[in-house]
Amino acid sequence: MGALRDLRQETMAAHDKSWGSRMVSKRTVKVIAIGVIVAGTLAAESKKEYHFAVGSKAGVSVMNPYGSIWVRPSLNNTVVVSAILHSDKVEVDNNQSGNRVDIQSHLLPGADSESGRVDYEVLVPADASVTLHSSSGPLHAEKLHGDVTLEGSTATIDVRDVSNAHVHVKTLNGAVTLNNVQNGHVEVDSLSGEVTLTGVNGPLVQVVSTSGNINYIGDFGDSGEYRLTSHSGDIEATIPEWTSADVSARSVRGEVHDDIPLQPKFHTWFPIRAGVAFAGTMGRAAASSTVVLRTFNGKIHLRKRSEKQ
Amino acid sequence: MNCIELEESLVESEDGSSREQRAHLSACPACSGLVEELRSIIATAVELRGSAEPSPQVWNSIEMVLRQEGLIRPQPTPRPALSSFSARWGWARWLAPAAAAVLLSAGILLYRASVADKLAQQVSVAAPALDAGMDDNDFLQEIAAQSPQLRPVYEDNLRRANEYIRDAQSAVNEDPNDAEAARSLMDAYQQKAMLFNIAMDRSLP
Amino acid sequence: MRPEKKTLTDRRQRRGDELSEAAAIERAKQGDAEAFQVLYDMHKRRVYSLCLRMTANTAEAEDLAQEAFLQLYRKIATFRGESAFSTWLHRLSVNVVLMHLRKKGLPVVSLEETTQGGDDDSPKKDFGTEDVALAGSIDRLHLQKAVESLPPGYRSIFVLHDVEGYEHNEIAKIVGCSIGNSKSQLHKARMKLRDLLKLQRAEKAGKA
Ligand SMILES: [Zn+2]
Repeated sequence: MGALRDLRQETMAAHDKSWGSRMVSKRTVKVIAIGVIVAGTLAAESKKEYHFAVGSKAGVSVMNPYGSIWVRPSLNNTVVVSAILHSDKVEVDNNQSGNRVDIQSHLLPGADSESGRVDYEVLVPADASVTLHSSSGPLHAEKLHGDVTLEGSTATIDVRDVSNAHVHVKTLNGAVTLNNVQNGHVEVDSLSGEVTLTGVNGPLVQVVSTSGNINYIGDFGDSGEYRLTSHSGDIEATIPEWTSADVSARSVRGEVHDDIPLQPKFHTWFPIRAGVAFAGTMGRAAASSTVVLRTFNGKIHLRKRSEKQ
Repeated sequence: MNCIELEESLVESEDGSSREQRAHLSACPACSGLVEELRSIIATAVELRGSAEPSPQVWNSIEMVLRQEGLIRPQPTPRPALSSFSARWGWARWLAPAAAAVLLSAGILLYRASVADKLAQQVSVAAPALDAGMDDNDFLQEIAAQSPQLRPVYEDNLRRANEYIRDAQSAVNEDPNDAEAARSLMDAYQQKAMLFNIAMDRSLP
Repeated sequence: MRPEKKTLTDRRQRRGDELSEAAAIERAKQGDAEAFQVLYDMHKRRVYSLCLRMTANTAEAEDLAQEAFLQLYRKIATFRGESAFSTWLHRLSVNVVLMHLRKKGLPVVSLEETTQGGDDDSPKKDFGTEDVALAGSIDRLHLQKAVESLPPGYRSIFVLHDVEGYEHNEIAKIVGCSIGNSKSQLHKARMKLRDLLKLQRAEKAGKA
């Protein structure tokens, strides 16, 4: 019975899909009419461009198995998608439903990481929320203030100049760089990719990694909660001396170094042993941030940023 | 009954089966055409029931709220997977329960982490729940079958994630009151669940 | 007039699910995450489709489906099985959608009064599509598209009655109108759908 129902659901899902591509809405018709198809320089390479009119706080998602996705702000309430298709083994499906635009690279039989590759450049209103998926990447988003979700497996991920937004990143082993994220709600999960945060602050900044190194350069500002944790990666935080934070750091088997004087805190949850752990406050304790640095096998280093920088 | 009266009469008697309706319909092809067309609209309407599928984000948000509100709670004993767990594409059908099992374990920990004195129990709960749902070798074999070139990457990450779980677990064993250790164990499970999720993600070739 | 065969399929399917649904409800009461998801998977299409057909907007429909399930789950501990679980869920979903439509200031029942006779905007005259025959050949996707372009006031009654299978007396109660009003709005909705379908077909023929 269960299998039968599954089958029925699949058939229905297939129906829905054909509906999506065959029965185009009025809006989609317009989009196709505006869509420009330019023959590329290579015989098999082609460029496509799609325009969508959206309202404020639009949602834009791009699913692209192979290839890059760059997202930048557009000037007005439009979403402009430029796609370079590397062969005719891949197609671009696009769909607008109200304030949401979904773009998906559709691999045809026989497509591989070369022939199935599509490189996207996407312009979105700065307040749009953006979801990007690519296995190989790279993924890049900049100058936005809507939520940003990026997922890749080997993709390198780069987010810069984002404010007042959730930034969620998941990757298997691609390197992650976040640059200038203000008032963010940041969650980065990386199995083995290196994570570098520069000028990132907000109410929550959390990095969880299994074996990737984590590098934080900033001031632990905004009275936020900062958790940088790895199993076997090293954690290094470079902060100005005036930083105001409640810091606890522990490496179970590695080493812990701090260049910055801390007021020790004794009511802590782990035994303080010099070299493997420290806990304490720095700066004005009031209105400070909470910082947790934790690794099992890696080294932790809390560095003082030279003010010349 | 004339044509206008017939149309009005359909409000009360939609199938045109009353005696007066039948009398008119038998003599009027236009009106019997109308009744036939309405009938066909009504018959097709039922097919719209349950005909659309919500995006996976809907469940994700629901689950998040359920956890936040404490409606999802830890389970006393691990349960076998319920039968109608559905996944939409290919071999991911098999993976979905596995990833869910990992997340379930993580969820158990998340909840327990707030109750320090029960931390000791959680480890014994989490481990069998995890074992019931998944097998790492099956997982790797599926990866190899789907995309052989990715196998080493997944194998390496899986091994590291398992080490993470092991280390975090012994940290919890050492000091059941260590909230940060419990947190690490949850993180470790989530890393492993993420590995499974990335594998079944639709953007994966 | 309602096709018998469909209800039969539904009933048979329901019987197959009964055991696992009852078990899942009990487990959900205990806070079992998987049980919540099983219940969701069983009913998500029905609930989401209802929301989608009523609003004709995917983003709104997703928010409403989420809200309906959350309201249900928050109350699941009080579920004693007096009525079918699905009945309960669907009624709750309808309320969530209607509430939303009202908040947006959209008419749940068309504001147009139940005018007697043929003054109305019956487009057969305007479109000249009278000779396009429809009978026996309406496909789901075309109907779906036509329902999307119905004015909201007509859409609700049509979806509740012809798609979801509510009776006029139930609709009158849920929506807060008279039974007569429900009947006449339904008839108007069907007539409009017929026009829209003919228009669709005429456009298609024109293009081809
Ligand atoms: Zn007649």
